[in-house]
Parts: sequence; structure tokens; C-alpha cells
Amino acid sequence: MAIQAVSAQEPGLGRAPSPRRHWPAGLILSCAIVLGVVAAGLTAPWLTANSPLDQDLLQLNKAPGGDFPLGTDHLGRDVFARLLYGARSTLGISLAGTAIAFAIGAGAGLLALTFGRWPAAVLFALIDLVRALPGTLLALLLIVGLGSGPGPLTLALGISFAPLVAYVTRATYRREAARDYVQAAASFCGGRLHILQRHILPNIAGALVTQAAIILPRCIVTESVLSFLGVGSSPDAPTWGRMIADSSRFVERAPHAILVPLVALVLLTLALSTIGNHLRRSLDPVRDAADRTAEDADDDQPAERARPQLATA
Amino acid sequence: MRPLLDIADLDIVIAGRRVVRDLSLTIAPGETLALIGESGSGKSMTASAVMGLLPPGARIADHARLRFDGALLKPEDDAAMRPLRGRAMAMVFQDPMSCLNPFMTVAGQIDEALQRLGTAAAARQRHGRLLELLALVELPDPEAIAGRYPHELSGGQQQRVMLAMALAAKPRLLIADEPTSALDATVQADILALLKNLQRTLGNALLFITHDLAAAAELAHRIVVMQAGRVVERGPTAAILDDPREDYTRKLVSTRQMLATPPQASPVARVTLPKPAEPVLRIEGLVHDYPARRLFGRPFRSLNGVSLTIAPGETLGILGESGSGKSTLARLAIGLAPAAAGEISLFGTPIVGLARLDRNLRRRCQIIFQNPYGALNPRLTIEAAMREPLELLGLSGPDDRARIEAALSDVALGPEHLARYPHQLSGGQRQRVCIARALLSEPELLICDEIVSALDATVQMHVIAMLKALQARRGFAMMFVGHDIEIVRWVSDRIAVMHRGRIVEQGPAATIVEAPAESYTQRLMAAMPRRPEMTKLIIDSEALPNGAASLENH
Amino acid sequence: MARIVAVLASLLRGLLQAAFIVMLTFFLCRVMPGDVVDVLGLEGGLTVEQQVEMRRSLGLDQSLPRQFADWAGQALHGDFGRSIRFDRPVGEMLATALPVTAKLAALSFCFGIGLALLLAIAATARPSRWLDATIDFVNTWSIAVPTFCAGVAAILVFSIWLGWLPVIGGLLVPVLVIGVDNAGQVVKSLREELREAVMLPHVRTARAKGLSPWRIAFAHVLPAAMPIVLALSGLVLGGLVAGSLTMEVLFALPGLGSLTLNAIHGRDYPIILAAVTLIAVALVAINTIVDMLHRLVDPRLA
Repeated sequence: MAIQAVSAQEPGLGRAPSPRRHWPAGLILSCAIVLGVVAAGLTAPWLTANSPLDQDLLQLNKAPGGDFPLGTDHLGRDVFARLLYGARSTLGISLAGTAIAFAIGAGAGLLALTFGRWPAAVLFALIDLVRALPGTLLALLLIVGLGSGPGPLTLALGISFAPLVAYVTRATYRREAARDYVQAAASFCGGRLHILQRHILPNIAGALVTQAAIILPRCIVTESVLSFLGVGSSPDAPTWGRMIADSSRFVERAPHAILVPLVALVLLTLALSTIGNHLRRSLDPVRDAADRTAEDADDDQPAERARPQLATA
Repeated sequence: MRPLLDIADLDIVIAGRRVVRDLSLTIAPGETLALIGESGSGKSMTASAVMGLLPPGARIADHARLRFDGALLKPEDDAAMRPLRGRAMAMVFQDPMSCLNPFMTVAGQIDEALQRLGTAAAARQRHGRLLELLALVELPDPEAIAGRYPHELSGGQQQRVMLAMALAAKPRLLIADEPTSALDATVQADILALLKNLQRTLGNALLFITHDLAAAAELAHRIVVMQAGRVVERGPTAAILDDPREDYTRKLVSTRQMLATPPQASPVARVTLPKPAEPVLRIEGLVHDYPARRLFGRPFRSLNGVSLTIAPGETLGILGESGSGKSTLARLAIGLAPAAAGEISLFGTPIVGLARLDRNLRRRCQIIFQNPYGALNPRLTIEAAMREPLELLGLSGPDDRARIEAALSDVALGPEHLARYPHQLSGGQRQRVCIARALLSEPELLICDEIVSALDATVQMHVIAMLKALQARRGFAMMFVGHDIEIVRWVSDRIAVMHRGRIVEQGPAATIVEAPAESYTQRLMAAMPRRPEMTKLIIDSEALPNGAASLENH
Repeated sequence: MARIVAVLASLLRGLLQAAFIVMLTFFLCRVMPGDVVDVLGLEGGLTVEQQVEMRRSLGLDQSLPRQFADWAGQALHGDFGRSIRFDRPVGEMLATALPVTAKLAALSFCFGIGLALLLAIAATARPSRWLDATIDFVNTWSIAVPTFCAGVAAILVFSIWLGWLPVIGGLLVPVLVIGVDNAGQVVKSLREELREAVMLPHVRTARAKGLSPWRIAFAHVLPAAMPIVLALSGLVLGGLVAGSLTMEVLFALPGLGSLTLNAIHGRDYPIILAAVTLIAVALVAINTIVDMLHRLVDPRLA
């Protein structure tokens, strides 16, 4: 491994301090895709006259064209209508799932952390117990117990992502709570809630928003996997994942019925994760960038900077 | 005689900024050259350039010429530098803990250095040489040390191992980059003595990089002073210390002078205060444990029966090395951490066992922290940060803004700083904001936890001079926690020396520093670098304590 | 001593985790709407009396804790009961399914981690735009493309349009799909970790000693990056389980995943429980081993 190559070629320590004003093309495209999907979901009834549920047994596996701009599937349902209505349920279920994950993971996590050692210890011991189970499997088991349908599905998605959110919350909370300004606020008689909302929340909000942007596409993917396994969304509110799953056995006869939702799903998750990555880069490291501008001249670390932390360890 | 190292017109650029400019220097064989500067002065970059170890992104300008024993160096060509490193030249770094490979034993790491010398020596011979090296750096029981992992050694031992590793090849040039700054005072003195000794016996040239003038004076034949990437002054050690020409050097030297003359003579308001019998802070038999980090681990006792009192208007210095428990004491003293046993009474009110202190108590005592980078919320403007104590302590009124401005002007900051964010201020400015904020509630007790340790020497002086002046005006009592003997002495009326969670000795500042009774204190004081030349220089120091304004922009 | 205590503590935690997961599964299985008797009743037209009799013989009329205690007691003796639908011993069914899944998972794991290590090390040794773009692509792929979509696409392209591979059977496509997915999940963190490991002070010391780049890489950089490699391989396991589940269904592989899923649809509790128990124990065992390896690699933790 040629270490020297790294030192010679990588761009350096101090990143350019000027904030980039122009938006990269990938980000603009991603935003356009997400907005398009949202718009499609909202305006579905006006964009197509066909129902996503009506079966036409005379029109099975039709190629795109004519009355059906994107063809029909193995039950003769209009793929275009299903795509539009599917946008609605895909986004709806995933957003609700993410919201539940945050309500449980971040909400309960923050409250427990704010109110002392024991509530947090108990909560995280509980979370630790389910941690060994992969999210998809946990969601699967939860749906087994809760029954299928949009409600249980959303709840199962939320619960299966909650541990991840809780860990991120705890890590960022602890990083902030150890800061001197939190101690200083305590020394001004600042209560736990004051410290939480004035100092901790604003400083971890970036990390949490970023996390949400990362979890949303993963929710969409997990939902589609569950649909594929036959325990996902209900037949009357089809998601894209369900469409792919339903058509996967007829891939030979009606490739369009599977390709359309597949491409839509991949584009949406790609767009969302691109936005998530941009958020992470621009929101999360605010402090680090700030610290760096002050410190980046310090090639020689002043002697004592590292020491007194040890003093309290 | 041909110089061993000859640097001409060295320019180093990082991300478009020149961190070293037109630097030229030479080192003769067997000579010790000290490169002095504060953080960011480019001194470490210079050393890294000589070794070819510049961080990614740093570039050396084409016109620079570095010669080692007459041969041209190509610092940016790793393959060309590799044969020189660890043979003709070797380097010791600042923080030995992180500079040793945690996954390898001491023997393994030194053996690596021996192996590459190319001598096809047998393993047995190398082992003999290894023990010899460990003995050379005055490590007791080399056989035992050789088998240990770095984390099983103390900081001083780690640095000795680093030295042994560097000396494995009998290098002609040894570069020591702040080799003592991460160590405790007593250990610092030992390592400096060792460096001096080794250089005398081995006859290698030494490029000694430091921010500490006293350490440089101890070791160096010649001194080069750097500031903001440039050489500002150079010359023989005695000449630099006795007769600094440049402003900046004079400032550095006079900083030391100021420390040598504590402001005892300054008229202090405390005399006029009515003396109530009651101390502002009384601590009796205080014990504190850090909880065990693992399920069945043992808790770490950080304070073990500490007792002290602080009278109104008095300054008590808490002096101790890292890990002595002094910062924990500071936090406990104002109820920011719970005590395991003992009594603390603030203004006569016992606070141990209190879930939280009431506003009245909180108003009367304030704390300032060590790290000015962490003490201000990066998302709040200075004004918002300063409003916080007023609002929380119920002192808010219509004249808030005026009071905040007045407080800022007390620490020589103008109102234009109010709208700024912490990252727009320098370290010294942030620390002054913290002082102003702590003083807003007009406390009667101010706890200063290592408040200047993270700052450069000249800025340190400015901050403590300002603090002392404010104390003279307002008459608050102070607990001044620190590890720098001279600074603690300069600030304090009395000093308590802490060691491993106990107070080993306390008494008047002058007595503790000049005539310590306990053996630990004696060792600590002996480690303080005190040069005859330094004390000789206490002549022209009137400029400093009051002349803080001249340092305004730090 | 401290080492033994630490190992015991992590074992204990692992056992607790496994027990909790099994208990959770048991109760979720029992509260799920419609039990096996209902399903069989619908299919086979059982009378109400027959249904009651069947419930009693299966012990379904007893209290939940009691049922769990009975089941757990037998399971501890290695007896996972008989499948209700197939009337075969569950242990036997698992034994035939396990090798399929184990082979799939092991191959995918090796391929995935190997690919990730290769990309990350290459990108650290010779940084290039091209390699970084590849890493980004693989990473985004694993985030955005569910494994079954990749599987479906592979079938569509290779079997149907190009006619290269048989649609069903053969582990090649499933292993590739899961492996790329796994690699994508870890490759970015691995790259970051190596980038930072190269800048560590002790690596600088090694360079100052004049060691060769290879020696530096293997003796100084890799050990420092080892903990994260271990932690990440623990993370990969989750993706592995989900991946095998979908791939087995899509490619009709008779593994644990197919077995479990069929059992879920048929409400065949003994199989669900036994399969989840097996998966949970395997995951916990692997996590515990990773934890111990971590301690072994880093002398500071011992």
C-alpha cells in the first residue's frame, strides 16, 4: 500500500471556507424526482381516469399503448394508474414509518437521556436486546404478530428502525452533553429541559434530520422487501414494492409490469439517498467546520490542549 | 565546517495558504537548535518537511533547497526519503501515547527500527542492542519494559521508548517535535535532562521544536524564533534571552518576566472589604468516585478526602498534574457533580445532597472552563450566549444590552462582537467572552478551571492579567485551577497542591513555590525550569500587567 | 481475570438477547390473528368440534406462559416439536434447510467483504477519482436497490433476454446480488476508516522509522483498522439474513428463509419458532465471537 501516494495526492486539511452556493446537478435532479413523485401521488385521480384496482381479465399483460399508457399487469390492472396511486401509498407508509421510528427512537431516547441515568439505562438495555435481530426480520415477525394491512405495516417499519435512531440519538446527545457550554448552562441554573431545547436539540437537529433522510429510503426498500415476501402492504393500497412483488412471477410475459415500478422505486430511493448524503455533508459538520476555521492554522498543537481532559478521566 | 542540515528558502503551502515562508536555517553537526513559536507558527511543519512527513495537501515550493550533509533532499519523494529516515535522521513526536503502535509490544516496535538498519544481525544480537537502547534512555528494568504494550507504560516511559526507537540507528540528526508538551511537569524535566545528556554522549545534532522558552533555554545552543510562518529572530541562546531585538521575541521573553513578578504589590480592594467570619467556600473531607466503566469494574476514586477554604476576595490556586483530580474538584465545588462523601458549603449553605442549587447560590458563584472552543454554543451569537445567564438567573431587565456591552468592555471587547458567532473569534477572545459572561451576575466566587491552558503564552498572560485586574476592582474570590506553576503562583494568594486526589500541601503561594515542605511538592518545584538568565531579566517589565491593551488582538 | 469477566459478560448478554428474541417471537406468533387450526379449518373444512379437539391436542388452549414454558423446556432438550402441517420433526426439516442457507450466506459474506476490502484498500493505496466513484456507486446501489429487485432484474436480463443462465437453481446470481449489497453497506465506512488509519500518529512514527510501505500497511495500518472491519462484518450479518430470505424465495432455494416464510403463511408455529431461534442463536454467537476477536486484536481491551 503506497502511503506516500495518499500524502501527495489527496486534497488537504483545510477545506475551502467559502460555502458552495451553486447546487450540484445531481441534487437538483434528485429534488425534482422526489417532488415529481409527491406530485404524482397527490394528483393521481386527476392524471388518470383508470382505477388502480379494477381488473380486466380480457386485457392481461398488455404491452404499453392505447388505453393503458404503461400496459396492464397479470390481472389486467392499469400499470400507470397503479404507479400513480402507488406513489401515494409508498411515500405515505414510508414517511409514517420514519416518523414512528423517530417518535420512538429519538423521542423516547431524548426523554430518557434527559431524565437521568436510569431511564436511559433501562431503555437502551431493552433496545440492546432486540439489536441482534436484523431489521427486516424484526419487521417480518412484528407483522406476523400484528397482522397485515397498512397500520401494522407502518408500525412494524417504525419499530424496526427505532433502535438505529435511538443509537444515533444517544451518540449525538452524549457528544453534546459533554460540552462545556452545557455545563456552563447548568451552572447558570439552567434546568434539564432548558439545556435540552436551547443547547442540545439545535446541535443534534442536523444529525437527526440527516438520519431521517437516510432512513426514509431504507423504509421504502424494507417495505418493498416485505411486500415481496408477501407480508407487506394490502392489495387495496398497493405500493411499488407490492407491484414488483406481484409481477415478479410474470416477468417473462409482462416485463413492463415489473420494470415500471422497479425503475420508479430505484429512482426514488436513489434521489432520496442523494439528498440524504447532501444533507449529511452540509448539515452535520457545522461545528467541525467552525472548529476548523479557528484551529486550522494550528499545525503545532499547543501543549496543554489535550491534557486536562485526562485530568477528569 | 559543513552544516549537517541546511534549509534555504523553505515555503510550505497548505490549501493556498503559506504556513511557512522563506525559512532558512542551518544546523552544524552536534549542535542543538531550538525552533520556538506558538501554535500555528509553522515550526512543526518545518520539521515534518525535513523528514518528508508533511501531511496530505501540504506542498513545498519549488525554489526551496533542503540539504542534508551536502546532499539535496527531496521531501516530497517518499521513496527517496525512506533510506534517510530512521538511519541518518530520526524524529520524536509530541504525544507518545498515540505515536506508539498500540498493537505492538515495545520490543516489537524497536526491533522494527533495528531490523531495517540492514545489518544482518541475529535476533539474539538485536535483542541485546534493544536492551542496551532501553538502558540508554534510563528505563528501569529494560527486560520487563520490552515485553509490555504502550498502554501499560506511563507517559514518561512512552516518550523514553520513542527516544530509544529514534536512537536505534545512531542518527546524526534527531528532530524532537514538542517532545515534552504532552507530559506532566515533573516528567518534562526528566525528559529534557535525558535529551541533553544523550546529545552530549552521542554527539548527534538536535532540532528541538518547542513553544516553551524555558525548555529551549535549557537545551539549545542557538534559538530560532518563528511567528506566523516566518523567522523573526535568531541567535545564540544567551543573546536571545538577554537582548531580544524583535517585538515578538521581547513579548515572549517578557511574558516569562511577568510571571516571575507576581502582582503582590498591586493595591487590592479586598483589604477594604468587611471580613465576615464565614468563608465563601468551605470543603471538608470531600470524596468523589467515577463510576466503574464496566459491569464489574471498580470505581475510580478521583478525590479522596479534600479539605480547603476560600475567604472572601482571596485567590486559592489549585496546582496539580493531569489526573490529580483538580478539575473534578472545581466542578464539585459548585455542585455540577455529586460528591460521594464529605461536606461542601457555599456561602455557609451546605450543598452536598442538594438536588440542585437555587438561583441565589448560582448567581453568587460562577465557573469558567478550560477549553474556549467548547465553552460557547456554536449556534448562539455572543449576545445570546451572554443573555443566557441573565435570563436563567432572573437578573434580566430592560438594560440587559447595556450591561452586556459593559461586561464586554471590561474584557476589552467592543460591542461589535455581540452579533458574532464563537467561531469568528480567536481562542483568547472566546475565553474573554467566557470571563465577561461569568462576571455578569457579579459573583462572589469565580472558579477558573485551567482557563488559560489552551491558549498561547502571550495570550495567556493577557487573559490572566485582565482577570487579576478585574478581581482587584470587584473583589471576588477565586479558585484558580491549573498545572502551570508560574501562572498559578502569579494569580494566587494561597496554593493547594493536589496529587492523586488528595491535597498534599497548602499554604501561601510564595512559601509553596519557594520553600515546599512535602517531598512531592519539592519534586514538582524542582522540575520547574528556572534559569539564572531568566530571573536576571526582571527589569523592564512595567509594560506588561497593565499593558494588556497592547496585546489586544490576540 | 478481567478478560474472563469481560468474555463471560458478553456471553451472558448474548444469551439474554437470544432468549428475549425467542420469547418475543413466541408471543408474536401466538397473538397473530388466525392460528393454524383456523387455516387448516378453512382448507380442510374441519368441524367446530374437530377444531376444539385439535387445539387441545396441540396445547393451544393453555395459558401463554405455560405454553412457552413447555416449548422452551423441550427446545432445551433439542426437541423442537413436529410441524403441524407436514407432521415431520422440525429438527429434521431444519437440518435439510440449513446447509442451503449456510452455503449461500457464507459465500455471499466472503464475496461481499472481499470486494469491500479490495475496493477500500485499493482506494487508500492509490487514490483515484475512478475508484472513489466505484465505491460511491456500490454504496448507493446497496442503499437504493433492494436485493430482490436486483435479482428480478438479473433474471430478466440474463435468463430471459440474453438466455445465458437458467432462471432457477445455481447460487451464482444470488451470491453476486447479496455480495454486492453487503459490500455496498460497508465499503464506504471501510474507506473512511482506512483513510483515517493512514493518518494516525503511530503510522507517522512508522514512516519516520523509514519502514517500507508494505510493512507499514500490514503491521501498522491494518491492525488499527481491524476493529472497524470486525464491527462492520457484524453489521453485514443483518443484510445477509434479509438477502438470503428474498433470494431463496426468488430463486426457489429450499433454505431456512423459504421454510420460515412458508411456515409464516401457514401459521406453522413450531417451524417459525425453531427457525427464528436458530437464526437468533447464530447471530448472537457470531456477534459474541466478533466481540472476542475484537478483544484479541486490541491489547488495550484485554
